[in-house]
Amino acid sequence: MRPLSPSVRLGILALTCIVIVLIALITSGANPAQVLTTLLTDSFRSPTAFADTLKRFCPYMILGVAVFWALRAGLFNIGVEGQFLMGGMTGTVVALQVGGIGGVLLGAVAGMVVGAAWALPAAWIRAYRGGHEVISTIMLNMIAFQLSNHLVAGPIMDPDAGFPTTRTLGPQDMLGGVPVGPITVNWALILAFGFVVAFGWWLRKTVAGYELSVVGANPTAGSFAGIDVKRTTFAALLASGAIAGFGGGLQAVAFEGRFYMGFSTGYGFDALGVAILAGGNPIGIIPSAFAYSLLQQGSLAVQTLHVPPGIATLILSLLVVLFSAIRYGKVGHANG
Amino acid sequence: MGKWGTPMVDMSFITNWLMFAAILGLAALGGMFSERSGIVNIALEGMMLMSACVTALVGGTSGSPIIGLIAGLVSACLLGVAHWALTQFYRLDHIVSGMGINLFAYGATNFIALSFIKPEVPDQFLPIPVYFWCALIALAASWFIFNRMRAGLRLLAIGEDPDKARTTGIEPVQVRLWALVFAGILCGLSGALVVTNSGGFGDNLTAGRGFIALAALILGGWRPVSVAVACLAFAAFEAAQIQFQGSPILGYQLPAAFWKSLPFLITLIALAGLMGRTKAPAGLGKM
Repeated sequence: MRPLSPSVRLGILALTCIVIVLIALITSGANPAQVLTTLLTDSFRSPTAFADTLKRFCPYMILGVAVFWALRAGLFNIGVEGQFLMGGMTGTVVALQVGGIGGVLLGAVAGMVVGAAWALPAAWIRAYRGGHEVISTIMLNMIAFQLSNHLVAGPIMDPDAGFPTTRTLGPQDMLGGVPVGPITVNWALILAFGFVVAFGWWLRKTVAGYELSVVGANPTAGSFAGIDVKRTTFAALLASGAIAGFGGGLQAVAFEGRFYMGFSTGYGFDALGVAILAGGNPIGIIPSAFAYSLLQQGSLAVQTLHVPPGIATLILSLLVVLFSAIRYGKVGHANG
Repeated sequence: MGKWGTPMVDMSFITNWLMFAAILGLAALGGMFSERSGIVNIALEGMMLMSACVTALVGGTSGSPIIGLIAGLVSACLLGVAHWALTQFYRLDHIVSGMGINLFAYGATNFIALSFIKPEVPDQFLPIPVYFWCALIALAASWFIFNRMRAGLRLLAIGEDPDKARTTGIEPVQVRLWALVFAGILCGLSGALVVTNSGGFGDNLTAGRGFIALAALILGGWRPVSVAVACLAFAAFEAAQIQFQGSPILGYQLPAAFWKSLPFLITLIALAGLMGRTKAPAGLGKM
């Protein structure tokens, strides 16, 4: 088989993706242009819609950093979803017990600790036992689903509620925000912005950040240069879990105010896409997280056009694949 | 009511056990073809989900359960071939490609089910024993292929060291295509069994069974018979969870979540090397 040139190859892939999306849009019976417009612009329709978009934007940024951090060390933290759930659940319970601004702080910190604890087995197995982190974090995710669903339907459930949820935090027990025009920008969102920028600075300007990138790029070279590769790997997964758990705690005390079955709408899995779409620069997490928030918000609105919400996931999955193909596609001989 | 409160074993336990074992076994064997050829496959879940949805849709609309199943298998194979093309030609990281396929399957099945599956059209499925036979044949066939057939040995050679295999004149990329088609057929059968058992398609119907199958594949050390044993064990946990729901065992009330978590917990312990080491194919993830 004669190898095709990389650009032709990418062209074929892009065309396939476009055709799949077009087929989906046309068979749905709605006007394709209208569906796309709704998907992309629904967030700006009303202050409520924009506030809902921001509520997604915040965890996407924080979890995006969590995934990016591990990815820089060459590790796939698929467990972000489970760490986020465990952090959110613990954060809610702690904030409910403590209350006030102390509850907010302790809730977020408790989320961080539990997130790190949930990543600990994966970090240890990867760094010191040689087991692949993708498999262990998938297993830990499944256990986190089971455990959080079990607890929220029993021990920590609000007995007066008709469905699995904890009690709700009062407004005085939650993180406030700054009013900007008709909407309130939560402090959590500002924190998330600062966090992404700080992470970008840390990665580029500190020794620890540099060591992380070296281990990810070439662990053998790293160990010759005197970097403790095992320790760096261990620390990277632990930090990734801590950030994801912190994101969960923050989501509870800033936006949700309670933990319930369905607390995460798959933020952790989407965050993998957010980090991949961000490209090589951590600052890229901001636009890529925003794109994710827009499309997910729009996916709710397209239902009024009788288009199923799955269309957004479908488009995002193709975007992730296409974008990765562009990044990876430097070489291209058919038979390697 | 006997001495133990509930009878320890009855017919529904056995049928549930066989059912879950067949679902896991088919998918895990599918994963084995892929991973032994060197392609990491976390997309088992996505292939199963796609096949479950398409089997229900086409079976219902065409009125023929056979056509439904074939369409389901083809859809799963297409995802398998997509994984092959993305990892072999576009050089995507195998995890990224697998994740993309899982996401795609989740979105696409939600879209297809809500757009096209009409609740008033009765579903058409093949009888469940058909799948039991398929699972048994798949197990025997994979044992035979990997132990007795030239093609199977070539596949193993590629999975261990693609460069050495290449020097003997084997084309890894071509063999991997067939491996992924096999993976698609087996995961497709597994997904079709899931939807047959539940009687209709719904969002995320496979509910992580593809990942349990992946766990069984690892626990079984990528070998057909050991993988089948791991699947039987995991299926027993799931069947036991249904059997013992709400009834105390030796005085303890174990929540359903415990039984459901057990396969994952055991796999974690095995991954930590606390149950003896299993050896992954050496060339896993290599070109």
